[in-house]
Amino acid sequence: MFNLVESLIDAWSTHEQVIWNLQIVFMGIMVSLSCGLVGCFVVVRRMALLGDAVSHGILPGIVIAYLLTGSLSVGPVWIGACIAGLGCGACIEWLRTKTPLREDAAMGLTFTSFFALGIVLLSLEVGQVHLDPACILYGEIGLTPLAPELVLWGVPCGNQALWNMGLVCLATMISTVVFYRFLLVTSFDTSLARSLGMPVASIQYGLMLLLALVVVASFESVGVILVLAMMILPPVSSSFLFRRLPNILLSCLPLSILYSLGGLHLAYWMNFPISASMAITGVVIFLPCCLFGPNGGIFTNTKSLSIQEGSKGIPIN
Amino acid sequence: MKATLPKPLEIHDLTVAYQKKPVLYGIDMEVEAGSLVGIIGPNGAGKSTLIKAVMGIIKPVDGYVKIFGETTRKAITRVGYVPQRASVDWDFPVSAMDVVLMGRFSHAGWFRRISKRDRIFAAECLEQMNMLPYANRQIGNLSGGQQQRVFLARALAQQSDLYLMDEPFEGVDAITEKAIVDLLKSLRNQGKTLLVVHHDLSTAKEYFDQLALLNLRLVAFGETQDVFTHDLLQRTYGGKLTVLSEIGSRQVEHKQPPSAVL
Amino acid sequence: MCAAQISSNLEQDWINKAFRFWTFADYSIQVIALGAILIGINCGLMGGYVVSRRLSMFGDTLSHAVLPGIAVGFMISQSRDEVALMIGATFSGFVGVGIISLLKRYTKMKEDSAMGLVLSGFYALGICLITYLQKSSGGGMAGLESYLFGSLVGLSADDLIPLCLCLAMIILCFVLLNKELLLSGFDPSFARSVGLPVDLLHFCLWILLAFCIVSSLQIIGVVLVSALLIIPAATAGLLTHKMSRLLLFSGILGALTGIIGCFLSFLVERLPAGPVIVLCSAFLFLTVLFFNPVRGILPSWIRTRKRGQRIRCENTLKACYQVLEESSFSSQSFSQTSLARRRRKSDAEIEREIDVLIREGYATRQIILLEQKSELPSENMISLTPSGWEIATRMIRNHRLWELYLTKEASYAPDHVHDDAEKIEHIIGEKTVRELERILDNPRRDPHGKLIPSQNDIDRGWLSPPLVTEK
Repeated sequence: MFNLVESLIDAWSTHEQVIWNLQIVFMGIMVSLSCGLVGCFVVVRRMALLGDAVSHGILPGIVIAYLLTGSLSVGPVWIGACIAGLGCGACIEWLRTKTPLREDAAMGLTFTSFFALGIVLLSLEVGQVHLDPACILYGEIGLTPLAPELVLWGVPCGNQALWNMGLVCLATMISTVVFYRFLLVTSFDTSLARSLGMPVASIQYGLMLLLALVVVASFESVGVILVLAMMILPPVSSSFLFRRLPNILLSCLPLSILYSLGGLHLAYWMNFPISASMAITGVVIFLPCCLFGPNGGIFTNTKSLSIQEGSKGIPIN
Repeated sequence: MKATLPKPLEIHDLTVAYQKKPVLYGIDMEVEAGSLVGIIGPNGAGKSTLIKAVMGIIKPVDGYVKIFGETTRKAITRVGYVPQRASVDWDFPVSAMDVVLMGRFSHAGWFRRISKRDRIFAAECLEQMNMLPYANRQIGNLSGGQQQRVFLARALAQQSDLYLMDEPFEGVDAITEKAIVDLLKSLRNQGKTLLVVHHDLSTAKEYFDQLALLNLRLVAFGETQDVFTHDLLQRTYGGKLTVLSEIGSRQVEHKQPPSAVL
Repeated sequence: MCAAQISSNLEQDWINKAFRFWTFADYSIQVIALGAILIGINCGLMGGYVVSRRLSMFGDTLSHAVLPGIAVGFMISQSRDEVALMIGATFSGFVGVGIISLLKRYTKMKEDSAMGLVLSGFYALGICLITYLQKSSGGGMAGLESYLFGSLVGLSADDLIPLCLCLAMIILCFVLLNKELLLSGFDPSFARSVGLPVDLLHFCLWILLAFCIVSSLQIIGVVLVSALLIIPAATAGLLTHKMSRLLLFSGILGALTGIIGCFLSFLVERLPAGPVIVLCSAFLFLTVLFFNPVRGILPSWIRTRKRGQRIRCENTLKACYQVLEESSFSSQSFSQTSLARRRRKSDAEIEREIDVLIREGYATRQIILLEQKSELPSENMISLTPSGWEIATRMIRNHRLWELYLTKEASYAPDHVHDDAEKIEHIIGEKTVRELERILDNPRRDPHGKLIPSQNDIDRGWLSPPLVTEK
């Protein structure tokens, strides 16, 4: 089983395999990129756990959409997921502000309840549903090439799954560019954002909406929990390499290529699920960044210039 | 009827309560344009709360705030807010220049590119606070005083008409302190209105033209020399301030207390 | 969907089923019910500390981080030996938490990113290892689903042993170390300064938490374990602030939701026990949140509205008094416009405020026609009724006393006047007022030289306004 080189070469030996693998790799890149871009803002707003919560919270939305429309087609499922995701975020916010609950308890309570609701609803329809647990948990990106063909007005356009993800990826990239200023200021300083007249709450909900969309688009490929890995790993790794947000955002692209290629090959070599392998590749890339990265790596000393009191949240007074 | 320009800040009967405990009570204040007002009072007096209530961050139970004759929401773009230093995330991946440029966003228009003019202006603001050499440094890599100066440069870049500052002198070195004072006075001379929460009684008298003495309610508001009296300070601090007697003894005892708010 | 379902296909009648359940007729029901109760109590008790120390999301992180340990435990022991799996899982959980601490301490990563990283990273590793082992060991390794969603079906008495053990350990620990745990959670630096081994206590709690999670994992699943750690404790937190009572309530609530959820899932075919238990606890939480008479949302909202109305009413009355005072009480009534001026509100708003006063019986309104040469055709004249007058005078007295008191506060020993949290005229109690009057020696004038009405003045009422004539 450890015949690494052989298994790698095997994977790309025939023409069909190349096409097959390329589709998987391409899908992986798009998933990582979307998650990474959204993740940059999620991390910088200290919302990483909210990302985790919303990823779980979309489940009842998906199930209800399925129960109402009887199909797992993209439209209703995505809408249901977005509504559930936003609902989850709104509940957390309400619990945090209007009740004695603290932020962590509000999050934990809400998303687990939503998730439990999703499972209960799902079980009531046992027999007809083909949503299988493995899919929810770690996805099956390896099945991407098997997705049906998208046919628009009688013209076959290629893999439907790739198209769906492609649109989401494009939407994410466009949102990042168009709303960059809003996201930047509201993440850094909400009072300034208010001073500038920015609609702070709307932006937060907009980000949650984008997050829910990315999660629902990606969960068939990588599953609900690994989406979180794809969201956190890129920004956290590049923050040790670059000082400024624009560079961190740009680095999501090369990173997603690495994750995808690395994940595919690791999966072929060790017979792991591809999505989990992508996450492990991400962690493997994270480690040297964290240890030796030029911007605050553990073993590099870039902070010798400054006086430390302001950083790392050490209270000044 | 002579038409008058609306005042930069009008607060009437402002009451803020947190659950059952009142934090601000019956605040009545009118601030004229071109004023440099210091808000002083003991800890827990509600000074930061007042600023936040004016900004609209906290909702009052009673009373209202008018900024240039409009509600806070409508006039918010004319207000520049410099928050307490402890509330900023210094690890955020932005440089000093990035922070100052943020102040130009509303002027540049939300969706248009930042113009060269904006960048030059931002650089000038940094220069005015002696921070231009540090423009490309990530903010976490600056000292406390330098960080404060970056935020003030940003406030400058906003070109607001009303500035609200929450303890800008907290934890800064002497050079920065002087720079801040000069900045405040220069803004005042330009006709801007400044409301500054200040913690240090010993410097309050020389930094500000007007003082608002706050302890849950507004004890007094007026020109510094009228308001900075032993009697009024004692009423504000409940006689708890030991240093009060020495400050008081340096003051001329005022014959008639100004019209305090009841 | 494979999550747990407990019921027999034979009996369709719900009453029969309910009877069967609550009489614990079958052995399997006994075991399952006991299991649910034990998990509820364990998680409820641990949850008390998890929630109060703000570790809620740590429970979730930990329950994902144990996964690789389970796989490694299996690999090492080459069997489904419970002990090996548990040791492996606990160890893995610890490594995860340790990494989070390291990242927080030595890098600029924030806690939430570190947690998310460990959560998903370990989870990915766990998935890889478990699927690999599943494929290579040919079914010896339990499927991933059983860890992720749990399974109450097929629970045997043996599976209850770790739960009982966990419960015993928790109770022992909490009883013996009650004060120490309380202090180290509330004020760690102080606790250290008095010699408490805070880190050791912390470590103990983590071990207990890991063990609790691991013992419950196979039964209720990863995501839902963290639910039970949070929700009953959060509900208990709404009911009490005292730690010992919180733990008690939390344990009871946990057990309660455990057994009820179990019952519901037994009653309805296809409903898996784990999620139903979670939903029960969530429902209970919402009920307490909204209807708890002391701090519930609905009762509080009603109280706040009433209070807001009362405060506005009293403010208006106070302004009425001041308007009357301005004219030195020369007349019993005053015009609505002068009140509007005083309150700086529009005529319409004042009209509404006076309407409220009239409705409450504090004032009366009369419309007087004015002479032709004045600007308005008529004027609204307001007079206060005796009860209105009483309230107005009382408000003014309280306020001016309080003003005077605050001026001189430092001179008085702090225990002379109880520290009313609401040191404001609307809510100042009569007892405090008496105390203030006594301390200040029944003053007649406030710091501004304005008259302070005494209780006598208030009792005498408006019929004889003595306030102007008295010196």
